[in-house]
Amino acid sequence: MAAAIETKKLTKSYKSRSLGKINVVDNLDLTVEEGEIFGFLGPNGAGKTTTIKMLLGIIYPTAGEGYVLGREIGDMEVHKVISYLPERPYYYEHMTGLELLKFYGSLFGISDRDKFQMLLEKVNLHRDMSKTISQYSKGMQQRIGLAQSLLNDPKLLFLDEPTGGLDPIAHREIRDLILGFREEGRTVFISSHELSEVELICDRVAIINKGLIEKQGKLTDLLKGGRIEITVEGVSEAFLNDMKMHDGIVRAVPEGWLVDVPEDADPNSVIDAIRGEKGRVISIVPRKKRLEDLFVEAVSVKPFTQKAPAPAGDAK
Amino acid sequence: MRSIVSIASTTVGEAIRRKVLLVILLIGLLFMIIAPGLGVLSARSELTVLKSMMLGIIQLTSAVIAIVLTVYMIPNEIERRTIYTILSKPVQRWQFLVGKYLGAVLALGLMMALMTVVLLAVFLYMQQDIHQAIDIAKAPALYFVQMSLLAGVAIFFSTFVSPLVNFFLAGGIYLLGSLFAPFFKTMEDNGHSPVMVKKVASFVNVIIPNFAMFNTQNPIINPNQTIGSESGYYIQAAIYGAIYIGILLVAGILIFDRREV
Repeated sequence: MAAAIETKKLTKSYKSRSLGKINVVDNLDLTVEEGEIFGFLGPNGAGKTTTIKMLLGIIYPTAGEGYVLGREIGDMEVHKVISYLPERPYYYEHMTGLELLKFYGSLFGISDRDKFQMLLEKVNLHRDMSKTISQYSKGMQQRIGLAQSLLNDPKLLFLDEPTGGLDPIAHREIRDLILGFREEGRTVFISSHELSEVELICDRVAIINKGLIEKQGKLTDLLKGGRIEITVEGVSEAFLNDMKMHDGIVRAVPEGWLVDVPEDADPNSVIDAIRGEKGRVISIVPRKKRLEDLFVEAVSVKPFTQKAPAPAGDAK
Repeated sequence: MRSIVSIASTTVGEAIRRKVLLVILLIGLLFMIIAPGLGVLSARSELTVLKSMMLGIIQLTSAVIAIVLTVYMIPNEIERRTIYTILSKPVQRWQFLVGKYLGAVLALGLMMALMTVVLLAVFLYMQQDIHQAIDIAKAPALYFVQMSLLAGVAIFFSTFVSPLVNFFLAGGIYLLGSLFAPFFKTMEDNGHSPVMVKKVASFVNVIIPNFAMFNTQNPIINPNQTIGSESGYYIQAAIYGAIYIGILLVAGILIFDRREV
């Protein structure tokens, strides 16, 4: 499968009077395959929006290379088949929903009223197309934003915090629309720190922190390493030591002992061993690794010297 | 071209809804309407004072509108992120800048046209002389070129300075070019001026647009003063303005093209 986005050591630096030269994006190696929903995660100020702006050709990289749909970033031909929904966008408030689509459509040379109508129906705004943007709620503004981003039938969509500041209903509407994009064969690049949302919709993710990629890979691979918590009583010290030797964590709890084993350990053999000890299993709780755990692990404070760029496409 | 037209028409739509501009316009129109009443307070001919006041009000109001309209134009687009949704489409930065400029000039033209209509209405009501009314209406036409040039100065600065700094820069250059251009010209032409003074005067004359060139109140207000070839002068002034605007836009585009937005 071809790469929709590929960057090689893409870097953006700024000069600060107090801090000197700062790499806002530092040697970024990123690969996004065509047709996938890619989550680009990171805390505030990590370099997410800067990366998107570089990929869109809105700001210029200091070093490195970047390709979007096989063309060098900034190539105007690519702009015909990509689209962008910025974080908390503002649209010309005096325009109606329909006028807004007409305006953005005119930038592509599109004036097909049926298309505007179809897009308004797709984002469920066809009944509000005569209202001005100033009368739209946040969720409606985000939906008209998605409609404008679909005007050119894009192959690749950049969505910057698409669900930021929205209520749960609007969240769900936007999520369903994004999932629909994948079914239509579009590539979606989402920058977000709404981790639960990303976990639900993304195929692959990259976590960026202080300009450096900390993790990158398939969500299923990155989230491997869950644990199973087994609470037992009446087991011997030898059993507990054996568990510790097999990557288990043992600690005393009021009910007895809590044995925490990796998810790839065979729980049946552990239970058989407990029964062999004449012990009693009180509870078994599988604890899956969540994206939140991965995120916290990746962005926890580290000195700059500890970091090294991640190899493209590899899950660390 | 299509992108430029779309951006320009959207800019007009935004501009004519900006409350601050409408308030400035309203104040200008109000002063124009009450101007005939103020003419009686002057010792000079009531007609001369009326013409002078009406044209002065149009010029001042238009200058304030031109500056306020353009200094916020690019910074607002960046701050509100509208520029990102536009530049991520197949729109070049120069098309964006030219579209914004043309939109500003069109909006300015609409507002100046409204003031000119009021000027004609007031003048006809006071004088009932259609020929004099048409004659006086020539001045706002030249003011329009002057204000387009002022908008060009402001949009050039808006590509790299903040709106507040731009307000004073554009306003300062307008005042310098309006009030002191003839003074610098005299210094440059004066045979008794030291060489250094001449060079400085010549440099200032080239750098600062000669806004005074568009001030034609005197011959209009005082019919005894005449311009050799009126249409020739008007064409010359319009060409001067257009060349200057072109230079400012090209310089603005070159800066804006490399700017991080």
